[in-house]
Amino acid sequence: MTIVNKVLLKISTAFVSIIGSSILVFSIIYLLPGDPVLSMIDPSVATPEMVANLRKELGLDQPFYIQFSEYFMNVLQGDFGQSVVNSEPVLPKIVEHFPATLALTITSAALSVVIGVTFGVLSAIYRNKWIDIIARIIGLFGISMPTFWSGILLILIFSVFLNWLPGIGSDGWKTLVLPSLSLGFVGAGFIIRMVRNSMLDVINEQFIVTLRAKGLSERAVMYRHALRNALIPAITIIGLNIGELLAGTVVIETVFSRQGIGRIVADAIMAKDLPVIQGVVFFSAIVYVVINLLVDLSYSFIDPRVRRAN
Amino acid sequence: MKLVNWTKVISISMALLLLLSGCANSTGTKNSSAETKDKVEAQPKQGGELTFALATSPDSLDPHRSGLAVAGRVFRTIFDNLVIQAEDGTIQPWLATEWSVSEDGKSYTFKLRDDVKFHDGTPFNAVAVKFSFDRIIDPKTKSGNALSLLRPYVSSEVLEEYTIKINLATPSAAFLSNLSQNQLGIVSPTAVEKYGDQFGKNPVGTGPFKFVSWTENADIQVEKNSDYNWGPSNVENKGKPYLDKISFKIVPEEATRIGSVQSGQVLAAETVPPQNIASLKNDPKTQLLTVNTIGLPYTLFFNQRKEPWNNVKARQAVQLAIDVDSIVKTLYLGTYERSWSPLTPGIVGYDKSLEGSVKVDIDKANKLLDELGLQKGSDGIRVKDGKQLTLNYVDGSPNREKRNDIAVIVQQQLKKIGIKVEINITKDVASVIYTNADYDLYGNSQVNSDPNALRAIYHTRTPEEEAVFKGLTGGSDTELDQLLEQGTAELDTAKREEIYKKAQQKIIKDAWIIPIYVFPYTVAASNTVNGITFDALGYPLFNDVSIE
Repeated sequence: MTIVNKVLLKISTAFVSIIGSSILVFSIIYLLPGDPVLSMIDPSVATPEMVANLRKELGLDQPFYIQFSEYFMNVLQGDFGQSVVNSEPVLPKIVEHFPATLALTITSAALSVVIGVTFGVLSAIYRNKWIDIIARIIGLFGISMPTFWSGILLILIFSVFLNWLPGIGSDGWKTLVLPSLSLGFVGAGFIIRMVRNSMLDVINEQFIVTLRAKGLSERAVMYRHALRNALIPAITIIGLNIGELLAGTVVIETVFSRQGIGRIVADAIMAKDLPVIQGVVFFSAIVYVVINLLVDLSYSFIDPRVRRAN
Repeated sequence: MKLVNWTKVISISMALLLLLSGCANSTGTKNSSAETKDKVEAQPKQGGELTFALATSPDSLDPHRSGLAVAGRVFRTIFDNLVIQAEDGTIQPWLATEWSVSEDGKSYTFKLRDDVKFHDGTPFNAVAVKFSFDRIIDPKTKSGNALSLLRPYVSSEVLEEYTIKINLATPSAAFLSNLSQNQLGIVSPTAVEKYGDQFGKNPVGTGPFKFVSWTENADIQVEKNSDYNWGPSNVENKGKPYLDKISFKIVPEEATRIGSVQSGQVLAAETVPPQNIASLKNDPKTQLLTVNTIGLPYTLFFNQRKEPWNNVKARQAVQLAIDVDSIVKTLYLGTYERSWSPLTPGIVGYDKSLEGSVKVDIDKANKLLDELGLQKGSDGIRVKDGKQLTLNYVDGSPNREKRNDIAVIVQQQLKKIGIKVEINITKDVASVIYTNADYDLYGNSQVNSDPNALRAIYHTRTPEEEAVFKGLTGGSDTELDQLLEQGTAELDTAKREEIYKKAQQKIIKDAWIIPIYVFPYTVAASNTVNGITFDALGYPLFNDVSIE
């Protein structure tokens, strides 16, 4: 299989995943308990006609497959519908707020890689020394500490007590620091463990012994040869982690009062604003699929063995 | 060798970090105490921007469309009303200078101010008032709260440029007070036509502040209306506001919201959780403002459609067994007041004599249940005809104002009299309560300016009304119905108060409900902010606010 064919195959499977996820998103929302129409109308003024009219207006009186196919056709034309709360079109709203979420996701991913790889490598090299213990504790906390809690803790320390960084808002790089740390910490926990384990595996392999026997400095052996091999599984984790990060923004954007699509979907869920929920979830699914496609493709550039296997 | 270096670097930097944080903390405290000492009373200072953190985001700034309290806090700054309700409950002029009521109580004639204009420069007049009210009853507007407040409105007649006659279907004693509520603010007809259903994102009124921008989930900004000189009687500054600008930030997480006041990132924040109230009171840099909201307190409603709660004895047993004082003290640490009546204090006709009228009496409660033939089984739970006495306590999620915790305490307390409480926390209150009426006990509250609010909750509902949504009580009582109907129509305040007192007593005597607490609206603000006041319903007013 040529590399072009392989890329095309990957892209087409990505497309199938997007269609699949759209069906899933639509069905889950369709099956949610509760009548969206009743929750939109103030019960103190509702009349049966008003309820029926609104149901018709939203197309909710149609059978499932008609509702779905209409929605899907509209989405293909770039129309994600409009909010039932304030009649705003959904797609422009997502497009407006996505950059803030993207910035948060990227900085969090970067932080989790930097923290994760640094401590992962150090703890493998200095195995069972105190730095290894610290790295493992950080890893444990990262994985087990919920972001809403670490977020509040960071605000308390760096914003309320120390007054170094702003605790709320989404204007400027300063407002990115605390939320990215809080969110990046989770990924960092996983990456520390992953890198540490694969580093330990690689260190015990024979080619490392050969390199040492060749007389290479310990630094060169570790950073030039062992680390490179150990990073490959870490990249997979980073790709999968993007999904976690996107989901995490729902909580983090609320805790730090940032703008972003996580906030939009949280508000929409509270208001039962179906078109907005559908739009954001579907949009996030597309982002997730695309990022994982890129991660998949990047293997062939990072790992010569994958490239050669073609 | 290298390892040693790393150790040194890290331990030194850790030590430095600790040192730095220690320094920052202590200097911070010193500054704050110095500030409080230097604080002096002065004339209100002009200018400045007030940042005010809101707990949730408004859905729309169209007063005729949004029913959310949080939206009202914002559009209160942008829109004015015909009249204002003073703290003592009397109705006073605002955009209307005087008014008269026809003998049959079905039409009101208002004389309007002739010196008012909207933020877009168009004049405020009788046509604008007619436009606003007709807009509310137009189904296309999708009014909710505004529509129920305006009822029984039928039509308006423009008599002269600044005189308007409003016709009602039936007399309504609550009408004037309802006209003072922020959802019945007067909107600019030109702007409504221009923006259509996007008016809620581009609101134009006659208020002390003009709308500037709304960046979703970030902030809503309003700026001083320099032409303003028609402030109502409940503010001192009738002219243009002292502030140049207010920026409402949306900060949903409560710890973050309070933290942002303490860190100085915002100057004020609403809705302080009880656990923070004590610490804020001791913080020399901040002040805490509290106002009790009026209307219907947070109340647990029995579903009288269900056995045995259709029986007054069963309801009274629960009423005698629930220790409301201990619930309110435990959960709100003395920051919320207990309520005793279906109405809150401060509303016209509130019956103060009900305070202290219900006392915990476990023996009497047990006796009442014994009389119903409900005998305690081996596990302490009462049984009749092989069926255990259970109470399905439904509450909503998220856990607003710790209401879920009330359910847990009630569960413990009712165990003592042999009732098994099943707590059912649902995200879908609309279906469980209003569609299926699948509950025995459910709690709710409502902010309202007039005791007529009781009618929507406690009056017998027709099968047609029940088909649309189920009422909270499911009960029916001819005597109570009569009282509530009289209360709506009675225009004499003293007589009206008597009617509502009887209604409140009846509701408590028959144990239709367990009133729990009155919700205080709280604002934490930096000491540099002066003059935040509240209207009769507990909405903040910014006309008198200045920043030192």
